[in-house]
Amino acid sequence: MSQMNITNSMTVTETVEEGLFQSENPIHELNRMLVRYDLTPNQAKVYLFLSKIGVKTASEISKALKIPRTETYHLLSTLQQKGIIFSVFGKPTKFNAVGLEESLEILVNNEKNRINELDAGKSTLIKLWNIIPKYGEDEEETQDNKFQSLQGRNSILVKLEQMIKESKENILVLGTEADFKRFYFTEFTELLNKTKSELRILTDHTPDTPHIFESVSPKKVKKIEDKNREDFCFIIKDDSEVIFFISNNKVKDMLAVWTDSQAFVTTLRSLFSLMWKKSHHINETDAESLLGSEITYEHRLREIEQEKMILSYLQENFKILETGGKKN
Amino acid sequence: MSKTEKLKEGLENLEILIIDDNEQITKMLTTFLELKEHKCTIANDGKEGLSIIKENRHDVILLDLAMPEFDGYSVIKDLEESNELKDHKIIVFTASTITQDELDELVKRGVTSYILKPIDIDILHSKLIEIANS
Repeated sequence: MSQMNITNSMTVTETVEEGLFQSENPIHELNRMLVRYDLTPNQAKVYLFLSKIGVKTASEISKALKIPRTETYHLLSTLQQKGIIFSVFGKPTKFNAVGLEESLEILVNNEKNRINELDAGKSTLIKLWNIIPKYGEDEEETQDNKFQSLQGRNSILVKLEQMIKESKENILVLGTEADFKRFYFTEFTELLNKTKSELRILTDHTPDTPHIFESVSPKKVKKIEDKNREDFCFIIKDDSEVIFFISNNKVKDMLAVWTDSQAFVTTLRSLFSLMWKKSHHINETDAESLLGSEITYEHRLREIEQEKMILSYLQENFKILETGGKKN
Repeated sequence: MSKTEKLKEGLENLEILIIDDNEQITKMLTTFLELKEHKCTIANDGKEGLSIIKENRHDVILLDLAMPEFDGYSVIKDLEESNELKDHKIIVFTASTITQDELDELVKRGVTSYILKPIDIDILHSKLIEIANS
């Protein structure tokens, strides 16, 4: 009887362990998120397993997660080096995980340190580079149009940030909320806010929900009318460079192309200008929009009146000159 | 006769920059001002106007506010950011429905004066002379 209970209890534990990574378990989402903190999917899996299940041997982990034993040892060693799991001395050696909050802190700090090291190494690299003599002749800078394929969120983001930082004249942004929500929690909107260039954003937006550009002055944002909406998403810098997205927001992997081709930039610039003219500011109600057209009408009337005034002066003046001429 | 005296008499030839997207107005105004023997430069958009301001000095600049793309406000903002706004005699020359507070705010920022369209052409001329003389 007691033997049966032990067997049953072992089966239940094993089922829990093995079921931890079944498809409907929210731990999968956690696993995916941890990958962003420089863990491989299997490293994340082992870490989460230890965090939830507690102290285990390498062999138990390997069995429960269906990862080959040699790979499991390697994963455990790497996680130990990262400082988010630790071993419990004994025979056989057992492993346990550091709490999630502390582990995230450690992983973020690891990344920060890596960036600091890369930053610090920059000057050494440049010094070394300058020591090596140049063997080739200086080629004249090519005037050809350049096209650069950008794959994945990070490479696109790096290019976008560079464009915004370097911009001196204008930045034109066109795309839906869904296109840009992938850049939440990045420097993207902050840089747009800081830019001294003239900024214009055309996006879809419903006033009831928060949106990615809400920190940007409403004067710079217009809502793409439904009838004008297309699956376009691009960002133009200083009428000289553009990034346009090839994949739409439904596709997981982002793909974009950067180019300085004047033909491309001019075409997209014209498209943007046309859509900007047809669109209204996001906080503008229909009544305000109507009022806007009345203001334009009044404005035009004043201009015509001014034209009339100058014209009648000139007519009068030329009449005098003409009469004077005849007299002479 | 000194330059100031000539200015007071309206005899001094002024170098005037007109930044306005309304080509009718810029052409007719130029004809009028050239009849008065002033020298005019025209820019039909804010960007062009700004680059002329940065390259050459003018006695007076007439600046329209409502222009497509790069408007008069953007010209003012750019000059303000480069601390050059107060170096020029800029007269906002606009048909926009703009409040007195907004006009005062522009003057506070460094714009020399403002003239609302439509205005009698002789009054406009006197005002140009007066401001160039100030």
